[in-house]
Amino acid sequence: MHPIIRLVNRNITISLNPGFLIWQIIFPLIYIFVAGFAYAPLISNVPFGTKDLDYPAFLASGMIGFNIMNSTLVSGIIIWNDRRHGMFEQIMSGPFTRSHYILSNICTIGVIGLASASLIALVGYPVFFESVEFSLATIPIIVFGAITGSILFGSLASIISTRLRSSEGFNVVINTVFLFFAFVSTAFYPAQGVPEPLRTAFFLNPLTYLVDVIRAGIFGSITEFVILEMLVLAGMAAILFVIASKLLTRLDF
Amino acid sequence: MSCIGVSHLSKSYGSTKAVDDISLSVRPGQVFGFLGPNGAGKSTTIKMLTTLIPPSEGSLSILGIDAVADPLRVRHKIGVVLQQPSYEPTLSVEKSFDKYGMMWDVPKKERKKRTEQLILDFDLEHIRKKRNEDLSIGQRRRVQVAREFMHDMDLLFLDEPTVGLDPGARRKLLDYLKKKVETGLTIFYTTHILSEAEYLCDEIAIIDRGRIVTVDTPDALKSRFGNKKTIRIRLQEKRQDVQGMLSGISDCEIDFEGGTNITIHSEQSEMVLLRVLETLSNNSVDIEDLSAVPTNLEEIFLRMVRDAPDN
Repeated sequence: MHPIIRLVNRNITISLNPGFLIWQIIFPLIYIFVAGFAYAPLISNVPFGTKDLDYPAFLASGMIGFNIMNSTLVSGIIIWNDRRHGMFEQIMSGPFTRSHYILSNICTIGVIGLASASLIALVGYPVFFESVEFSLATIPIIVFGAITGSILFGSLASIISTRLRSSEGFNVVINTVFLFFAFVSTAFYPAQGVPEPLRTAFFLNPLTYLVDVIRAGIFGSITEFVILEMLVLAGMAAILFVIASKLLTRLDF
Repeated sequence: MSCIGVSHLSKSYGSTKAVDDISLSVRPGQVFGFLGPNGAGKSTTIKMLTTLIPPSEGSLSILGIDAVADPLRVRHKIGVVLQQPSYEPTLSVEKSFDKYGMMWDVPKKERKKRTEQLILDFDLEHIRKKRNEDLSIGQRRRVQVAREFMHDMDLLFLDEPTVGLDPGARRKLLDYLKKKVETGLTIFYTTHILSEAEYLCDEIAIIDRGRIVTVDTPDALKSRFGNKKTIRIRLQEKRQDVQGMLSGISDCEIDFEGGTNITIHSEQSEMVLLRVLETLSNNSVDIEDLSAVPTNLEEIFLRMVRDAPDN
């Protein structure tokens, strides 16, 4: 078996604990079925591209992007735990290179991101099935969004994990950053009607681009703006991936 | 062919030389002890030998492979138990063995067999289902050492493997290692516990301030220094004037500690002891305890480190 596959196997085994699964499944379910229907009377139809979506469908599709972001926290947690519990040195003194380690983390993020997106899509399907427009063009867009989003947020979590040593520091920084991403984005509500400084902040947030691309894929409303968002997403993912790889390469023992 | 061949190896961090021009050779099938006080350069040396960090200067051959040019090939053939704990906190002991074996590409059937054998050899049956994060420090250390035997290797690096182990577990581990050496394994072993090195090692290097002070077998080291005897005297009361009283006695080295403990090293220990006792008696200094210590590795180690240049 290739060293990267062995490391991915190990990464997935150590990540899949009950706490993580609850976080990944229960949390989005509450959002989709409780917040989605509770806010529906307050938020009427949401325009998205050429479509008008009801709020539960809008939120359920946003939760896919949100869940991809959350699941990529795993990458940061793996690296941080490996450093804290001596496994980084142990792995590096074994039959692996740093490239194997970095690539295995990216693959782990990709696998968990895709699994997470599929899970929420499956669970959320009854909510948004009326508006869904899958085609041969839209499914690759969803996969593209899931993979680039995973790499982007996974790289970000990896960068944070290489800079912080204390568990308190790591938790505070990662939760603050991801809380900002979650709520200053179009995952939960549309950007239209949001006061101006906040609206700009929405579009400085990569999660906005990720959920827009995922929604475009699900509802088949691919516009020029969505294509631009895909390019921005890919560009940001590439930059952050390079930075994360460089930091991981320089990580001292 | 030597298992480890180190020639003029140095490691610098800025202007500080952590390891300074060391050379050594380890033969296959032996246990090579690497001793030194804290900060002597042991861990830096082990990190270079295990390819974790590159040397600043010098050449390094592990199992006949140039470790600087081809570190990955070296890593396939060695086992490493580092000084710091390493564990997967959320996995149980048996699961962590299995996953570690999988990481080394050991077939599933073989992993299962080895896990059972290691659980037996290292007395881990009662904790096999426990998560690593719930183990005591000593248990975790035992699991960490045992786990390394999940994969095949020609050379094993052990950096203070018995830290945190109780005397029983320590002896059991040393005996296990001795058995492994009989099957052809070579071990590079660092420790602070000199009796361990004496029990286990075929050859010993003492490092201090980044430099090798001496390399020899434990017996040869003892015979080199064995002509000097050590006598320890403990006084009943603290006497600050005792150092002055004994300063005129020749042919010996006398160390004073805490005003009550006197250690005498001399090649003519009987004569020196008589003079010391006479002087103490004449000055009404009462003795609580007196013992002659046979020359052991600890004495040699302390003497070598103390007598090293710059100290």
